[in-house]
Amino acid sequence: MEDMYHMDRAMMTQQDTKISAKGVQVYYGDTHAIKDVDVEIADKTVTAFIGPSGCGKSTFLRCINRMNDTIDVARVSGDIRIDGEDIYDPRVDPVQLRAKVGMVFQKPNPFPKSIYDNVAYGPKIHGLARNKADLDEIVEKALRRGAIWDEVKDRLDAPGTGLSGGQQQRLCIARAVATEPEVLLMDEPCSALDPIATAQVEELIDDLRQRYSVVIVTHSMQQAARVSQKTAFFHLGNLVEFGDTDKIFTNPEDPRTESYISGRIG
Amino acid sequence: MTDFPNTGQPRQSLLNLDDRTKKRNAAEARFKAYGIAAIVTAMLALAILLSSVVANGSSAFRQTFITIDVPLDADKLDKSGVRDLDVMKKVTTIGYAKLLREGLLNAITDAGIDTSLSDKEIATLISKEAPATVRNSVLANPSLVGETLTFDLLASGRIDGYYKGRVTLESAALDGNTSPEALMLADALKAEGLITTRFNWNFLTAPDASDQRPEAAGLGVAILGSLYMMLVVLFLALPIGVAASIYLEEFAPKNRWTDVIEVNISNLAAVPSIVYGILGLAIFINFMHFNQSSPLVGGLVLTLMTLPTIIISTRAALKSVPPSIRDAALGVGASKMQSVFHHVLPLAAPGILTGTIIGLAQALGETAPLLLIGMVAFVREYPAAYTENAGLFGEAATALPVQVYNWTQRADPGFVERASGAIITLLVFLLIMNAVAIFLRRKFERRW
Repeated sequence: MEDMYHMDRAMMTQQDTKISAKGVQVYYGDTHAIKDVDVEIADKTVTAFIGPSGCGKSTFLRCINRMNDTIDVARVSGDIRIDGEDIYDPRVDPVQLRAKVGMVFQKPNPFPKSIYDNVAYGPKIHGLARNKADLDEIVEKALRRGAIWDEVKDRLDAPGTGLSGGQQQRLCIARAVATEPEVLLMDEPCSALDPIATAQVEELIDDLRQRYSVVIVTHSMQQAARVSQKTAFFHLGNLVEFGDTDKIFTNPEDPRTESYISGRIG
Repeated sequence: MTDFPNTGQPRQSLLNLDDRTKKRNAAEARFKAYGIAAIVTAMLALAILLSSVVANGSSAFRQTFITIDVPLDADKLDKSGVRDLDVMKKVTTIGYAKLLREGLLNAITDAGIDTSLSDKEIATLISKEAPATVRNSVLANPSLVGETLTFDLLASGRIDGYYKGRVTLESAALDGNTSPEALMLADALKAEGLITTRFNWNFLTAPDASDQRPEAAGLGVAILGSLYMMLVVLFLALPIGVAASIYLEEFAPKNRWTDVIEVNISNLAAVPSIVYGILGLAIFINFMHFNQSSPLVGGLVLTLMTLPTIIISTRAALKSVPPSIRDAALGVGASKMQSVFHHVLPLAAPGILTGTIIGLAQALGETAPLLLIGMVAFVREYPAAYTENAGLFGEAATALPVQVYNWTQRADPGFVERASGAIITLLVFLLIMNAVAIFLRRKFERRW
């Protein structure tokens, strides 16, 4: 067990940088929400963003797939690259980017359609399936990756909104992975779930790490410690500390990180 | 040890209400009473309104007919002898009236009824509309000439009124158009089964009639005109309104310009409808030279009037779709337009449909703008949906609410029941539209 742990670490350090952000600033109107954030997020790793409410961790997450574009007053400057390509380059179409960078939201938000259609929607609009058999296969694969296939395989025509909260969230994860993304962003995916559903989703996140670069925003420090290899601590729009998860939680460099982890601020 | 000041009051038992609680309970009870009183008043007003309309108007759906054999003499109706329509058309309704009188006199003689009335007075039992009815059926089928046919002819307004309780023997004595003897003759004919009162489809299908013959007046042209206008409104206002709302709600940047537009749309919804009539008169008739009195112009004016209603309700429906659905769609890489058309619009559809139907219902009941564009005209001809000369919906028509307005201005008391009957018809159409709106909302409403 210990060996595997070290192997993991070793593998990780070799891994390439998937997302690299330099000097990222975000303004919401006059509010300076993200102040000069630099971060390098590795491939095939779970990176957790922690910090008190309103510290900018979700805002930063939404920069990575340009969801902030949909907010009129939001302005993003700085440099964010995925595989070395500037995602804020004028030539980049955010729609194409979002197929590559999937997102799972805080509240499970399945479409009010059948389970099948929920998962099939992304592949359909991106033209990933040539025919119905292809699409069936993609849907099954995505639902298996979302660890929900066994629970829903007999009722793919049932509405996605009729599932329990934890199942809905796993359905949303299946929907996000159906478009074959390379990065998976998760914005507090377990905050609306009970502990059992949370455990299932966390287990799933650990599986997903083998294929994707996963970035997860969480309020639960225990969750960050359980699922992530790297942790970034945000405070008041600044990235205070970024490093290996076990180091952040056992031996933080910055006094603010220590205060937050020990429960003195936040 | 305690920091609370000792007020010296004895401990209050929970079993006794204190003064404050009593006061609050009383206020609550008063408020409930006000609410109930308001609702009762409103319901009472509605009940009075409806019962008066129904009491006045339901008789419009029944009509008195006289059944007589009419000898269609060939030498009187067709001097050519070869059923040449051009020659036959020279015989006016006056010629036919004589035949009807003959038929009625025969019927009276056959039944053995004695009357002191002159032949001319007896003829007033039959509506002035009846000769035209017979003439039309003869011209439509010339081979009838020479035969003696049984016709159900409209009784005159006074006789009809007598069987609906509007005319009495006392009022007939003072009436220049009828007499107590005429009514007694009618009673005798009714006893013979020659006069019957039954359901009157003509009220819904016949065109309007002139001042002297309320018994013949119907809503056919008005219903057709209203229908054409609703089609114009539906096919213009729905797409334009929904497209405008989608753009404003989902795509338009939020800046000073869109704010100005938003405020102006809200203001337009409050503009008095007659102003739209003036606008329509100036633009569609005087400037664009569309036909006056045509359902096309009426529909365009009502479209302008309905647009703000549809836009406001559509925007409200779009706003009520949770943003998480938009996020979900964008998150899997749908474009803005895909997220709107695949996800937001289907969820907003029930609200949009409801808003549209309520807008249409509002347009259906609108009178003022139609008066200004000439739809108040007296129209006898059914308007065609399309003709070479007048174009689409270009023939003169009138509309249901305008017909009500029109009939309430006529002198003959027979038009009172017609106007109320038209109101009932209009209300039934509105109820149907609202029921459809509720049905659609229930059917398509989805939970998320």
